[in-house]
Amino acid sequence: MGIFDKLRRSGLTVLAPLDGEVVPISQVPDPTFSEELLGKGVAIKPASSRVCAPFDGTVSMMFATGHAVSLVSSSGIELLIHIGLETVSLKGRHFTILANSGDQVRAGQPLILFEREAIAAEGFNLITPLVVCNSGDYAQVEAKTGRTVHTGDPLLELSR
Amino acid sequence: MKQIQHRIADEQGLHARPAGQLVQAAAKFTCDIRMEAGGRQVDAKRVLGVMQLGAAKGTLLTLTFDGPDEAEAAEALQTFLSQAL
Repeated sequence: MGIFDKLRRSGLTVLAPLDGEVVPISQVPDPTFSEELLGKGVAIKPASSRVCAPFDGTVSMMFATGHAVSLVSSSGIELLIHIGLETVSLKGRHFTILANSGDQVRAGQPLILFEREAIAAEGFNLITPLVVCNSGDYAQVEAKTGRTVHTGDPLLELSR
Repeated sequence: MKQIQHRIADEQGLHARPAGQLVQAAAKFTCDIRMEAGGRQVDAKRVLGVMQLGAAKGTLLTLTFDGPDEAEAAEALQTFLSQAL
């Protein structure tokens, strides 16, 4: 019985979808995220170039431009992962979509590949907010910030 | 029951920022607010639903309001949409 099995069963843990430094969402230089307009969450400064499913669930929407994806976990967590800021204007350049809207996914399953250096070279900030869109359903959405995570490490703890 | 329509003029369509602002604007009202695009209907007060419409530039959005403050809500959302999207 490994740690992943234990985490799967708790149902209210969101795992890190990529490697990087965890920062509070209030530090994201975009009010859509820092002011929690879409919900509570956390942000990661990416150190890897692949976004993987943060839990077992369904891809609710893979954005056509591949710069963002929303998912619903089997326990009902609605999560938006938005790679970089303003990256919608890249119109899909530097993103490779590996999963589609409606797909059932397992934690750790690759969803999107992105070219970190190329995107940064075009002047975009790669900070990646992760937002619980149904934050209102939970009493607490907590992240331990100021540390580095690897894909699959526990990132967010939710409680009702 | 009130209904308004808006054709998306924003190059980037209904992306994260306007989706969040739309939901915030809709959440201020008690009436039920539904948004429809391309034959799909969602609750305009839920972020995930609004983003799932994946509405692009040129898409016609139809919003339906049902409840005590429907007139106020329709006006507010019409103003918001013409300014933001």
